[in-house]
Amino acid sequence: MIIRNVITLTLNDLAIAFKNKTIYLILFIPFFVFISLKLVDREDADFKKINIGLIQKEMVAPVILQAIRSAGGVFTVFRISNEEEGKRWLKEKKIDGLLLRSEKERNSLVLVVLKKESLLTLSIVESFSALQKAVEGHSINWISDIKPLHEGRIQKQTLPTWILMLVLLVSFIIMPAQVAEEKEKKLLLALLQTPMREIEWLIAKLFLGMMLIFIAVLFLHLLGKFDLGNVLSYVAFIGVGSFCFSSYGIFLGFLCRDQASARTLGVIFYLPHLLPSALSDFSQKLTAVAPFLPSYQFYEPVKSILLEEGRISNLSLEWIYLLLVGLLTFFFSYLLMKKRWLM
Amino acid sequence: MQIEIHNLTKVYNEKRGLLSVSLEVEKGELIAVIGHNGAGKSTLLKMLASWLLPDSGQVLVDGINLGNRLAVVRKVGFVPETPNLFDFFSVEYNLKIFARLFQVPFLRIEEILKEFDLLPFRNNKIRVLSKGLRQRVSIGRALLADPPVLLFDEPTAGIDFEMTKEIYRLLKDFHALGKTIIFTSHRPEEIKTLSTRIIVLHQGYLVFDGSPQKYFQSEIHEKLYL
Repeated sequence: MIIRNVITLTLNDLAIAFKNKTIYLILFIPFFVFISLKLVDREDADFKKINIGLIQKEMVAPVILQAIRSAGGVFTVFRISNEEEGKRWLKEKKIDGLLLRSEKERNSLVLVVLKKESLLTLSIVESFSALQKAVEGHSINWISDIKPLHEGRIQKQTLPTWILMLVLLVSFIIMPAQVAEEKEKKLLLALLQTPMREIEWLIAKLFLGMMLIFIAVLFLHLLGKFDLGNVLSYVAFIGVGSFCFSSYGIFLGFLCRDQASARTLGVIFYLPHLLPSALSDFSQKLTAVAPFLPSYQFYEPVKSILLEEGRISNLSLEWIYLLLVGLLTFFFSYLLMKKRWLM
Repeated sequence: MQIEIHNLTKVYNEKRGLLSVSLEVEKGELIAVIGHNGAGKSTLLKMLASWLLPDSGQVLVDGINLGNRLAVVRKVGFVPETPNLFDFFSVEYNLKIFARLFQVPFLRIEEILKEFDLLPFRNNKIRVLSKGLRQRVSIGRALLADPPVLLFDEPTAGIDFEMTKEIYRLLKDFHALGKTIIFTSHRPEEIKTLSTRIIVLHQGYLVFDGSPQKYFQSEIHEKLYL
């Protein structure tokens, strides 16, 4: 009797899991992590050549140049017109490192990389050491200094990722569930029995999402006491991002009948928005895919403001993109609300 | 006519919904809509309350199209079968938030609390109240703006005998005040002496519309309930 009941209830629970789409989540997470791991270039990391940039007009010690050229299996050399272009190539991940002539030590080089504390930087330095050892028999001096493009400690360098995570967590996990709960308990219909306009309810929800994001970000800054870069640009971009993603989250809530489905759908949207953007620093493949996501258009400017002294005035395309996504999803939510979708 | 319904249709699937129902309701009527589960009773009321949008047809309340929601919400109060209140807040908070949206003075809340014997429970959270008490709060909320038309979807479902009598007494009181009332029930014997008119829905179709006396003598009653 007990076993029969347990089996009956288990089957019933499975049926519910299918119904509220939890089962898809169970399948989706490992699948997504697998795809992401494939995309971070791990499989072919051992065979990947290091792309090195050299400034065209800069005089580099012939012995070093000759050695780099002869190690064609390890390095691919790109000739770049000037330092600015080289840094741009570095940001766009067209090259892994930029070599500049050292002003302090003759016949030495300064290696410019995205991040100092990274496996890629270590790999470049190790390759140069090995090369120098093979040519000159010792392994000092060729690279006298390493300059990261992103200044600051590792905590600050990862700050944009945490900010993105917070924004997406509020938008894709909390907001859809909040909207779906009001639908599930028929509270939204009760509110629509009053002279309240649909748009008023939507704006109130949008404000809630934006406030939660601001509180979360503020709390993180209070705890970490991080340097903000250009404060006005930073606050403005968090504002645009919170508008875009809160609106997105509300829209996701409207696609669900109940909280359970909303949470599942939220996670399904959360991971693909978080991982490609946050991992884009480590993978060229992800860098190629990520710009299609609104999260990347938020992550990159935040990174630029926090780490590279970027300003919102130079990031117009990104904020217009986020604003448009926000307005579009807001409009769709309005239409679904008018239609009493899944209420 | 206070309510005019023309060819109102809402189809969920082949067997459920409401199919081209037309009827007129005069001011001050107390109408019981009866029928088995899936007959379309709740669908009719939910459409009158703007909870559901019809596939086709038209509803006018005091000459105003139901599509003009902002104008109609003050004319129609709806009490759903399951009270949809903010569970985690108090009775008073729930009434306050809706009073704010209806822009009625908070004095009205005191009247409602008194009228429905809710004063001792004003600070109690909704989730700790019995279904009967929650139903009273829900009715009180529907009456905040004092609408002339009241809709009750299965008002006595899931509540005890004493509370059922109490709900029917309230319906009579509202009727005596001149309000137009439409409520659903699937227990026709209970509403024999209560309603002034009975509408029977069966599989989405309107199959009877007349006085209680006529209904209880009709074949419809025999076919559906005996």
